[in-house]
Amino acid sequence: MASNIRIEDVRKVYRTGKDDVEAVSRVSFAVHEGEFVAILGPSGCGKSTLLMMCAGLEPATSGTISIGNTVVRAPRADVGIMFQDSTLLPWKTVLDNILFPVRVQRRPKAEYRKRALGLIEMVGLSGFEDKKPHQLSGGMRQRVAICRALVTDPDILLMDEPFSALDAMTRDEMNDALLDIWDRYRKTGLFVTHSIREAVYLADRVLVMTRRPATIIEDLKIPFARPRNRAIGETPEFNEICGYLRSLIERKQDQAATRREAA
Amino acid sequence: MTDDTIRTSTARSEALSTFGLPIAVGVIFLVAWQVAVRTAHIPQVILPAPTDIIGSFDGIVGVLAHHAWASGSESFIAFVLATLLGLAVAILLCTSVLAFEAIYPHMVLFQLIPKIALAPLFTFWLGIAAPSRLTYATFISFFPVALATMTGLARADANALRLCRALTANRWQTFCYVQIPYSLPYFFSGAKVAATMAVIGIVVGEFISAKEGLGYYILYAGSRGETAHIFAAMIVLCAIGLLLYGLTVKAEQMMQAWWRG
Repeated sequence: MASNIRIEDVRKVYRTGKDDVEAVSRVSFAVHEGEFVAILGPSGCGKSTLLMMCAGLEPATSGTISIGNTVVRAPRADVGIMFQDSTLLPWKTVLDNILFPVRVQRRPKAEYRKRALGLIEMVGLSGFEDKKPHQLSGGMRQRVAICRALVTDPDILLMDEPFSALDAMTRDEMNDALLDIWDRYRKTGLFVTHSIREAVYLADRVLVMTRRPATIIEDLKIPFARPRNRAIGETPEFNEICGYLRSLIERKQDQAATRREAA
Repeated sequence: MTDDTIRTSTARSEALSTFGLPIAVGVIFLVAWQVAVRTAHIPQVILPAPTDIIGSFDGIVGVLAHHAWASGSESFIAFVLATLLGLAVAILLCTSVLAFEAIYPHMVLFQLIPKIALAPLFTFWLGIAAPSRLTYATFISFFPVALATMTGLARADANALRLCRALTANRWQTFCYVQIPYSLPYFFSGAKVAATMAVIGIVVGEFISAKEGLGYYILYAGSRGETAHIFAAMIVLCAIGLLLYGLTVKAEQMMQAWWRG
């Protein structure tokens, strides 16, 4: 089954009465099967809105988003999703939270239980199966959210700044965990972040999005082979790429500031 | 001082302030009451001293128990009916946006009516026996449950609702798996109000028409000028209210244990 994502000329306009706000402005790109693409941009640039439209949680004002050969009009069961907030149900145990999609989608629980336990082991949460979310740290909760997104073995994984609420060290750990998962399961992934290093470390391609206009201004291939490890973060090449992306984003913001001053 | 003694001493001072302080205030109040009544020579009909009230239990324990059973059992039934009805109404109204928007404002408005004023109507409609009192008590105590539960259902975590949508959950699943559990804390805050309202409803009903019950007994004792007996009946009423409230808190704690594990 084809699991590529195609975004064609997508716009999102919020009507707020007086003046309309263009949250996403004519964006087009494709994510190929098995590819991990990061959308990088400052907060408020519309990158999360774009992801929500891919998930079928928000309608596009115009343009089309398709997964495989079908146009996305509503959420799909073959797409896993992670949010900035882990969104665990506080009264459910770790295991039951992970099995929540199985329950909702009426899949055979016994079958998926084994898979869930395997995922728990992989993210290093063995022994925590029966704990409740409030007994876990923020990083552990986000690990549970990863397991929940993967439990039904979706072809596509959409991630909306899943690690941005974590402290820097936990975030590094989570990045390594995600890389590890990627090497094992090879999904098609779309990852939204405002961290340049995170985007470069994780993705095969980084798309840079700006605020005004809310569109993609760069599509950069990241040349590092997989499996990756933290050592690549120390290489000159890695830092060169990060520097280039940073200058791109800052220049764009400076331009916007100058325009505002001129106006 | 070692760590342990520090810990036990802070635990002791905490226990002192949570239990010791209110008990001390209560004792001071009772002593002041006693002294005031005795030194000012207030007649017992107007205000009996605490010792007079305790003394008055002597000889009426059997009678009080009989009336307490009547009021207590009716309060309990009204409370159970009110929580079930409140829950049912809340769920029914929240499954339909139209029904919610049409009826919720009226429920809030109704909450503002001094519903005690409606009590005589129920005697009018349903006669002077238990059904009238039960209906009235249920009627006034189901509002807080319904309103609180509706608030809870409407305030389910927005992120969790979005997760349900992303997982392709249908409305019924979202309702059962997410909205109902999120509304439970609200439901219990409403049920705690209902526990006290149910007792009030039954006593008011008994004031209007009853052949037994503590409300009836209070009027009876009042007509005979036995003020100490009124206070004795009130103490028993307090105990009934406390029992219902305590049961609700116990159930709430069980829910919290399930929630947080």
